[in-house]
Amino acid sequence: MVGEEIVTSGSTSCQGCGHAILARLAFKAFGRKTIFTLVPGCIWITLSRNIPLFSTGTVFEGGGALVSGITNGLAARGIEDMNVVAFYGDGGTADIGLQGLSGAAERNENVFWICADNQAYMNTGGQRSGATPKYAQTTTTPASYIRRGKRTKRKNLPFIVAAHDVAYVGTASIAYPSDLVGKIEYAKGLKGFKFLHVQSPCPTGWGFSPSDTIKVARLTVQSGIWPLFEITEGNDFRLTYKPRELKPVGEALGLQRRFRHLTDGESQEIQSRVNGQWKQLLEIDGKRLPY
Amino acid sequence: MGHKELMVGNKAVAYGAVLSRVQVTSAYPITPQTTIVEYLADFIASGRLDAKFIEVESEMSAQVSVQGASWAGARAFTATSGPGLLYMHHPMMGCRLPIVMAVVHRSNKSMQPDHTDLMAQRDTGWIHLYCENTQEVLDTMIMSYRIAENDRVYLPVALGLDGYILSYTAEPVEIPDQDLVDSFLPPFKGRSAPHPDMTIEEWRANMSRGAGGYGTQKAWIDHHENMMAAKEVIVEVDEEFGKVFGRSYGGLYEEYNCEGAEAVIVAMGTIASTARPTIDDLREEGKDVGLVKLKTFRPFPHDEFREMAKRYNAFGVIDRNISIGSGGVVFNELRSALYNVDDKPSVLGFHTGLSGEEVTPGMVRRIAEKTLEAARGPVEPLVEWV
Amino acid sequence: MIEIRLHGRGGQGAVTASRLLATAAFLEDKHSQSIPMYGTERRGAPVTAFVRIGEKDKMVRSLIHEPDYVVVLDSLLRKTVNITEGLKDDGMLILNSSVPPEEIELLKPYKVATVDATGIALETLGRPITNTAILGAFVKATGEIGLESVIEAVKQQWKGTLGEINVKAVEAAYEATEVGDPKIVAEVVGEKAPAGSRADWRTFRPVVDLEKCTGCRLCWVYCPEHCIEMVDDKSVIDYAYCKGCGICVEECPVGAIEMKSESERGE
Repeated sequence: MVGEEIVTSGSTSCQGCGHAILARLAFKAFGRKTIFTLVPGCIWITLSRNIPLFSTGTVFEGGGALVSGITNGLAARGIEDMNVVAFYGDGGTADIGLQGLSGAAERNENVFWICADNQAYMNTGGQRSGATPKYAQTTTTPASYIRRGKRTKRKNLPFIVAAHDVAYVGTASIAYPSDLVGKIEYAKGLKGFKFLHVQSPCPTGWGFSPSDTIKVARLTVQSGIWPLFEITEGNDFRLTYKPRELKPVGEALGLQRRFRHLTDGESQEIQSRVNGQWKQLLEIDGKRLPY
Repeated sequence: MGHKELMVGNKAVAYGAVLSRVQVTSAYPITPQTTIVEYLADFIASGRLDAKFIEVESEMSAQVSVQGASWAGARAFTATSGPGLLYMHHPMMGCRLPIVMAVVHRSNKSMQPDHTDLMAQRDTGWIHLYCENTQEVLDTMIMSYRIAENDRVYLPVALGLDGYILSYTAEPVEIPDQDLVDSFLPPFKGRSAPHPDMTIEEWRANMSRGAGGYGTQKAWIDHHENMMAAKEVIVEVDEEFGKVFGRSYGGLYEEYNCEGAEAVIVAMGTIASTARPTIDDLREEGKDVGLVKLKTFRPFPHDEFREMAKRYNAFGVIDRNISIGSGGVVFNELRSALYNVDDKPSVLGFHTGLSGEEVTPGMVRRIAEKTLEAARGPVEPLVEWV
Repeated sequence: MIEIRLHGRGGQGAVTASRLLATAAFLEDKHSQSIPMYGTERRGAPVTAFVRIGEKDKMVRSLIHEPDYVVVLDSLLRKTVNITEGLKDDGMLILNSSVPPEEIELLKPYKVATVDATGIALETLGRPITNTAILGAFVKATGEIGLESVIEAVKQQWKGTLGEINVKAVEAAYEATEVGDPKIVAEVVGEKAPAGSRADWRTFRPVVDLEKCTGCRLCWVYCPEHCIEMVDDKSVIDYAYCKGCGICVEECPVGAIEMKSESERGE
């Protein structure tokens, strides 16, 4: 893992915070000629002061517009060699930020958007977001004998962005740092809109021991819950991690308190959906997606 | 020097952006400001303006993207109108970047103009300048950047022009030479502008000259102090503009035909234009009533009105707005400014022109005559809809 | 009117403890306020909460600056947080500590109560969540609230087994609490921590067995705090910044890192 350490020690993120690991790895890959931007969330509140780079923040819904303005402002001044990074959570990307994301992607703005996805509004106490998976308990989707946690599936964010025909779309996991860093190093050289969707397990919100952050991340990848892939040149799809056999989802889900209420039937439903999705991904692996 | 052209208010806005050498612009089509976007796109397409145009998907993004551009060191401009302005409210709140935004006034209860849209942004911490004619729009665009980018101020400016009445009405406008504008308005040097060769320490030191104290009450105090400092700067810039271009607008306000007046009416935007000939007529008839055109609503000229209160016995405030449940915004602020003066003048309130209701010279005459009456004795009611 | 300040770390339940105390007072027909320190709570980070108990028309809406009682849920916090700040001269400290009151070093002769709340919590709950145990100590040491009221408040908070084991924690702590006088010293020697140190976030610390360490750098890669350096191909942990998450222990492929309890005696 080469690259200068940029993120400093002493942040106020929770013990075992996935975002903290992601920030460290990502900014090593970006280097010093980088501007990172913020919208409200855990990253702004707990980590931003420990990332000594040019930075600014805006309203929750404004992330896409902010990076668009910055990259155009720099271009107007003749500065083309700085990375303009959107470092936002799932709320600022998939929910309240989606309109601005779509606008910036459609304009193919020369920015790099990292979605640090902890699958709920963790900074405000863990309310559900559009990225919360089905059945997960959050503080607004409690499980009882009447309600079973979140009622619907999460948004398929990377494919939503890919449908905008942008320079780069990828998924990544903090448990696979070479894959993650490699994707940033490759894509940051491309001109246009780059999007990396990184799963960032949250011990506090998902309910697992802070020591298990990497373990949970790895198991979700190994079980196909969080597939690693990239879409380059608009529509070339490629899986970047292909185990011969997927692990059962139960091992990853079993570590997380947010899934503690699952019945066998519900676990089975998740398993078969993951299996179905994995099969589809294998089918399109190495192929060009339709525009 | 310069040349004249017949143009609508919206084109004057776009011309102002061109002459100010705006580097980044961004806007979303909400009528009646829509043609500003089109004029700007044309100016860029024809090479008349060398700027990046961010074709955003919403007004909120228009606002945030120009903030991003300004933060990154580019002179930035956007325009909007009633509903779009309301959608911008969140990112406008507390913004401390020297961007300029044209607001083509439009009611939220019709397509037609009133000032309720910009009045709803009263407390966002922007400088508010109201214009009454197309020439003033163009000139105020240029002045706005000088005011916004001043080191004592460094705040955003909203420039108001009445929808349709100004935005779509054509009249001759003198367009100054670019060289002259360049001499008046030097290139923008942004406080927060990053550069690849700059260290973070240098950048932070540069930035902290202004907007400090995020997360504390001090941020509000600083913002307020910079806003109050803008009063002086607005007057200075207006005077200098007058010297360079031969036109000036009084800075914070203009007293028109007020010499020896017992009473004055207070008007903003296009109502001031309608009032001028009416006031002239009244003075000729021997009625001692003048016009105070309020150009700068934020920062509000409290002290200046207190000075005026020594000269005039009555103020008739015309509000093209209403703060529902309280009343006319300018009426209330002006009355509160005069609370501590000795020999308080009468202050009357008149609501008119909301949702594009036409304001005629006859209406202004009634307002002026009632105000004059109030200078001599009590009148009823204190506030009325005209 | 009595005013109480609670110190804990995110995850130990200081805010819940303040809520339980307020509920217990309410069950005794008193008016009460449970106030969290405004802001976002982070797991592991020092947390403050407050309780006011008294008459309804005396309830001001400010934080508590001169408490009658200070309750500390964590055994190490007193080394980094000024727990006696503003405490009234006749005030009392209720501390989670495995040492008797006589060994607690203070500048002023406050009354001190101690209980090994961490030990009791591990025994009764199986986790170092000390909020209910410390309430047992509060009841015993102050007598301001009845034991039965606190137990009822706990039962209202958690139904079933979870309630029962928490009641056990309250009762065990009530029995084990000692009240006494502290050791008066001229200066309380706190830990000299660099700016931004997170040492007081830890309950456990990772310790590297240099014999076993192969220098594979995996712990270095995954450390969220960037507080592991590779020195001569061995992992060296900077304890000023380590929050004690334990990821390095979990990820070490050769089991060279072990979690050890932080000791208040500072061994």
